[in-house]
Amino acid sequence: MSIIFRNTKLLLIIIASISVFVISILGGALGNQFGGGFLGAPLAHIQISAETVTKIKITEGYKYALTNTVIATWLSIFVLILFSFFIKKSISDVPGRLQSIAEIIVEFFLNLAESMTSPEKARKFLPLVLTIFLFVLTSNWLGILPGFGTIGKIESREDAIHHAQDLAEIQGKKFDESKVHTVLFDGEGSFGVLPIGSIRDVKSHDDHSSGHKTDDHKHKAVEKGKQEGLLIPYFRSANTDLNTTLAIAIVAMVLVHFWGFSILGFGSHLSKFINFKSGPVGFFVGILEGISEFARIISFTFRLFGNIFAGEVLLFAMAFLLPLIGIIPFLGLELFVGLIQALIFSVLTLVFAAMATVNHGDGDH
Amino acid sequence: MSALTPLGLNLSGLITQIISFVILFTILYKLLYQPVINMLDQRSAKIKDNLDAAEKAKQDIASSEQSIQDSLLAAKQERQQMIIEAKEAAAKFREEEMNKAKSDIEAEWIKARSEIQREKDAAIDEVRRNFAGLVITAAEKVIDTSLDDKSHGEVIEKVLKKSI
Repeated sequence: MSIIFRNTKLLLIIIASISVFVISILGGALGNQFGGGFLGAPLAHIQISAETVTKIKITEGYKYALTNTVIATWLSIFVLILFSFFIKKSISDVPGRLQSIAEIIVEFFLNLAESMTSPEKARKFLPLVLTIFLFVLTSNWLGILPGFGTIGKIESREDAIHHAQDLAEIQGKKFDESKVHTVLFDGEGSFGVLPIGSIRDVKSHDDHSSGHKTDDHKHKAVEKGKQEGLLIPYFRSANTDLNTTLAIAIVAMVLVHFWGFSILGFGSHLSKFINFKSGPVGFFVGILEGISEFARIISFTFRLFGNIFAGEVLLFAMAFLLPLIGIIPFLGLELFVGLIQALIFSVLTLVFAAMATVNHGDGDH
Repeated sequence: MSALTPLGLNLSGLITQIISFVILFTILYKLLYQPVINMLDQRSAKIKDNLDAAEKAKQDIASSEQSIQDSLLAAKQERQQMIIEAKEAAAKFREEEMNKAKSDIEAEWIKARSEIQREKDAAIDEVRRNFAGLVITAAEKVIDTSLDDKSHGEVIEKVLKKSI
């Protein structure tokens, strides 16, 4: 104990840490219950489907819904293209730092692929495996940058209720307006950031129903210079959208089977799934194999989606409970999860490709 | 598809993502994988070439060293051979010269001896002749008759023939 008091630097660090921790508790959701909550933002609106940022009219009667995950996808693609562009521009025998990174990644997967299949097949599979790895990794890591999920446009309360009604209709549930929680934003424009301390500005159905009784108009409950609504983030981690993960899974499995057909021949690859030669048991096993191929698509899709979406929710929840410091350990965790998921997706694709291009007869059992 | 809408799955989003992914795949294939893999292949080929060249140079050095060693050895052997030959030639020459000298000397010797012999014989002959003459003269003195030169010579010849 005396060591701590003698060492001023250590003492200051400890005091600062404790005070930050206390402030974050008081400023967060916990403190909000006791009149604090000056730092907190409301728990972000969490929904499984990606939020539509804008609708682009393509033809009469059809509007393309541009979602925030698509924007994030394009951002990842842009980052990757920039990365490769710089590598291609300055590629040389003596690698620079950027080229070394690219070479490490390429060589890692090339060696991995060559250890699983023949070198020719490894060269064939490599582009897909690398694209999956780089894209998933980039989008996962971009997804935890500040600004993802927190900067966006403000959707008015009417629109939010409208969307909630649509969703309930599709799901076949009864619409419950009390589940729509809106937030008060500073300023008039459509660009919005959840302000610090806005945790106290959450409006729920009760506020409005009471407002109806007294003022007869809900907008009167909103102060001047503020607007009420929901934040629709411009960016949302690309893999928190099932469309993205399903798209990658479909492309991966289509290519895997394309290679299966092209390397083994049409009949040989097909006979793995429709097999009349080995009797009824063989036929049944073949059908099961076919089903497992579809199961792979589904497991690909939901594994990546589930991990990244859960990470996002975890970060939101920690930012809600312990602003300032709560998310720090989880950011590290999310970096790790992002890398691991990218590895799992790409390596599994490689394994499936290697398995699909091996004849059933020789050594697959 | 509509049953999956609550999960956020929709056809337009899915198609967008598939197209985006395929575009990314194509661009990365051209911009990243081909250059990087080519570079890796080139580098490994270059390293292999360099190693081969180094190996070859090493072998060249070894072989040239070997050839130098060989030629040195050959030169040494040649020198040895030359020395031996020279020695042999010298020995032969010496022997020849020796033999020649010996035979010369022998011949000289024989010649000299025969000369000496001849001289000796001549001298003996002379002495004999003189002696015989002397004896005859003495005998003349004794018998007090003189022989004429012709008979004198005949006597000497007779005596000599007898003595021989």
